[in-house]
Amino acid sequence: MAKIILIVDDSESIREVVSFTLENEGYKVLIANDGTDALKFLDGSHIDLIITDLHMPEMDGITLIREVRKMPTYQRIPILFLTTESQAAKKMEAKDAGATGWIIKPFVPAKLIAALNKVLR
Amino acid sequence: MNQENLSKINSYLSFKLGDEEFAAHVGKVLNILEMTKITEVPKAPVYMKGVINLRGTVLPVIDTRIKFGMTPTVYTTNTCIIVLDIDVDGESIYVGALVDAVQAVLEIDKNHILPPPSIGSKYKSEFIEGVANIDDKFIMILNMDAVFSTDEITNLRDKTEETEQTTDIEEIGS
Amino acid sequence: MDNFKKKFIEEATDLLEGLEKSLLALEENPEDLSLIQQVFRVMHTLKGNSGMFGFEMIDSFTHEMETVYDLIRNGKLKATREILDVTLAAVDHLKLLLNEDNYNDPEVIGNHKELLSKVALLVKGDSASEQNAHADLNVEVNKSVEEKGEKTYYIFFEPINEIFDNGTNPLYLLDELHDLGKVEVFAHLNKVPSLNVLNPEFCYTYWEVIIATSASLNDISDVFIFVEDDSTIEIQEIADYNLLTDEIFIDDLKKLASTQNDIGLSSVQNLTKEANSRKVKDKIKSFNKDRSTSKETSISSIRVSADKLDILMNLVSELVTTQARLSLFAEENNIPGLLPIAENVQKLSRQLRDTAFSIVLIPIENMLTRFQRLVRDLSNELGKEVVFVTEGAETELDKTIIESLADPLMHILRNSLDHGIEDSDVRVKKGKPKQGRISLKAYYSGANVMIQISDDGAGIDPVMITEKAIAKGIISPDRKLTKREVLELVFLPGFSTARQVTDLSGRGVGMDVVKRKISDIRGEVEIESEFGHGTTITIKLPLTLSIIDGLLVKVEDTHFIIPLLVVDKIYAIDHEKIKKTFNNVVVLDGKQIPFFYIREEFDLNESQEKFEQVIVVNFEEKRVGLIVDHVIGEYQAVLKPLGKHYKNQDMISGATILGDGTVALVVDTNKIIKLFSKHEVFKIKEEEKPEK
Repeated sequence: MAKIILIVDDSESIREVVSFTLENEGYKVLIANDGTDALKFLDGSHIDLIITDLHMPEMDGITLIREVRKMPTYQRIPILFLTTESQAAKKMEAKDAGATGWIIKPFVPAKLIAALNKVLR
Repeated sequence: MNQENLSKINSYLSFKLGDEEFAAHVGKVLNILEMTKITEVPKAPVYMKGVINLRGTVLPVIDTRIKFGMTPTVYTTNTCIIVLDIDVDGESIYVGALVDAVQAVLEIDKNHILPPPSIGSKYKSEFIEGVANIDDKFIMILNMDAVFSTDEITNLRDKTEETEQTTDIEEIGS
Repeated sequence: MDNFKKKFIEEATDLLEGLEKSLLALEENPEDLSLIQQVFRVMHTLKGNSGMFGFEMIDSFTHEMETVYDLIRNGKLKATREILDVTLAAVDHLKLLLNEDNYNDPEVIGNHKELLSKVALLVKGDSASEQNAHADLNVEVNKSVEEKGEKTYYIFFEPINEIFDNGTNPLYLLDELHDLGKVEVFAHLNKVPSLNVLNPEFCYTYWEVIIATSASLNDISDVFIFVEDDSTIEIQEIADYNLLTDEIFIDDLKKLASTQNDIGLSSVQNLTKEANSRKVKDKIKSFNKDRSTSKETSISSIRVSADKLDILMNLVSELVTTQARLSLFAEENNIPGLLPIAENVQKLSRQLRDTAFSIVLIPIENMLTRFQRLVRDLSNELGKEVVFVTEGAETELDKTIIESLADPLMHILRNSLDHGIEDSDVRVKKGKPKQGRISLKAYYSGANVMIQISDDGAGIDPVMITEKAIAKGIISPDRKLTKREVLELVFLPGFSTARQVTDLSGRGVGMDVVKRKISDIRGEVEIESEFGHGTTITIKLPLTLSIIDGLLVKVEDTHFIIPLLVVDKIYAIDHEKIKKTFNNVVVLDGKQIPFFYIREEFDLNESQEKFEQVIVVNFEEKRVGLIVDHVIGEYQAVLKPLGKHYKNQDMISGATILGDGTVALVVDTNKIIKLFSKHEVFKIKEEEKPEK
């Protein structure tokens, strides 16, 4: 059964690139453009991995991560966040919030998959 | 030791085989070893007791008593192996002589050495260099080269004195 | 990707429009933090996304802008008119940059540079500004320089107990290592507590991994990038080649892992050192093999005095003996770490021995010249036409053996020339080619060198020999001899069958002397002859005189060494079985093997042991068993002569000093069996199939 990945990013271009890449690898993709939508998805469907941007209006990535970790079913779900190099502090924050790993923007698809392989098999 | 120096030295090592006392010139004696395990070499002449390890070389050991027509050596705390440097056809060979006891190193002046008796002697004269009288004992000074030579002629006893014992000394398996 | 690019451009255009609005608003309200955040966010998004779609220039540009607005939102900089002017100019520029056609426009490029420097100036005011490496372009998949070869690394990985909490699964990381190369993983469970205190949400396991990969150290570190803050990770290169092809290394690791908790880097490094030395030795071996198989007589050689060689050989012999004692000591005293060292010393001394002996080995080539001269001169003198053929000139022998061989071989050749090869007219009458032929062949056979001299001359007349023997009183007239036995008579002293004792070969040098000289160098000689057709003399010689690989056995109190080369197999046998056999034959592996009971033959008492060992040795073409008490093991014996006092003793080839100082006797199984079988009435039969 294919794994289902939830992508959370307010940038359509990013959402498209990531879902394209992941679908090519055989994953099923769900898309949310902000944290609140993401939480809705998590409530209903079974998700295997979350990829989220950090900078989003309404709910930012870090809050989303914290909320996800509060949910009993998703306490251990792997969560990857997108970040730019210059965001060292944010990285720590995200990790403290409970993120599993990160992908540095800009990234080529191979990098995305490489990070994925560390947390989902 | 070269010949010259050798002749000047008058020291002899005396040893016993049973009740009889013999002596060997110290020039022929390398050292004296305590009795140790002798590895027997099968199918060898009876007087060849076997071999031992002498600092990495293999030293043959001869039961001197058997060579002299006596009963084989019975090991006691006094039994020793005298390591001898024998001349065989100009070659220097080491051999061990098993003896009942080692006595002392004696200084025997040449003048006190009497020639071996030509007749009536128990042992063949070519093996005895002479006889010395020390403290009323007669010590036979041996020609070690001859006694421990590698020749197969083992019978040191004079043929006239042959007894049943000599059959033991006969060679086995040539 | 084109679709995504289009998407990005659309998105970016929207963003830039929104940005313009924000900036204009900001002009009115320079302190409005939410507006500043908006500007910042746009710059951030553009920077983050542009690189993805190939807009590097936008990427680098917006990076600078982002820095500025980061400073502003943190209160380190104020949104001055100047800044806003630059920012608006930047927005226009960015719009242009969204069109790739503009990238080559010199005006645009010039503008770009100008704006960048302006922005830089804006930033300069703050010394605490982030100096971020423009890692954008090189966020490549493989930062690492391509490693051409494989290296081996040691990895220690211990995650914190709470590692599962953020969704990490350490096993995926191990999987990733497996993707990189060949891996040996050692999981350690010793920190797992008992069930009553175990927290099922905790990770107690830690790992040690050996990986052989062409990936770089960075690549390996990258595997752990998400967990490095929450784990103890150690990665250390231990070899610059693939250690995991060395089975012994892997076995040793496994052994260590099973006996201790951690293997530990230093243990691994020790094992690596051992693996390295094995590797080097293999290289040396193959190097030496290559060298020795080349047939050129080495031009690159040096002269070594024979005395030095003798000293070297003696030292090597002593080393071998001392090393045996070291091994024995190591085994008996069980000092950790000493045994592997002793084994190493053994390997090294074996190599030294082999190499030292190869120095002393000389091809017989040099000797052959002498012979060729002899044949030439003699054949001329005798008026016979002879061709001399040699084969195997490159065969090597211990130099001392060669020296001792020269005379016997010369004599044999003389015999051939003198008595063997007939005069030309005689040959023609017999239907043989006018030219006589003498050949000398040298070759290896097992641990021996064989030298064979053949002629196609008159051969040996068995009748004549027998007559001569009877005349000399050597054999009684009615004795029936096999052909072989007749030929053996030739080796008896004083047995020159030449009608005239020629000056050359009759000179008090007979075949008996030849035989003796060859025995002295522990060789054997045999004659084969076909009357009227020719004679062949075969000499068998040992390769080296001094060191023998043997099997150490014990019979009662005495140790014996049986040369490994003759040993076929060893069986354990019931003492009772031996006693019960009929005709001294025992069935082993379905074959009937005749045996000799060494104790009996050497006149020792009967064994009290329940089990004894049968050592099946090769004797001529057959197999014979020798029964001993115990087989102790393989032993490399430095052969020492028994001395002249034992010169008639040919059953024992020599003695050797064992590690504990006692003397072991080296047996010549051929002689022993020959002797034993004389006592027994029967002859050794060919092995028969068991009767069913």
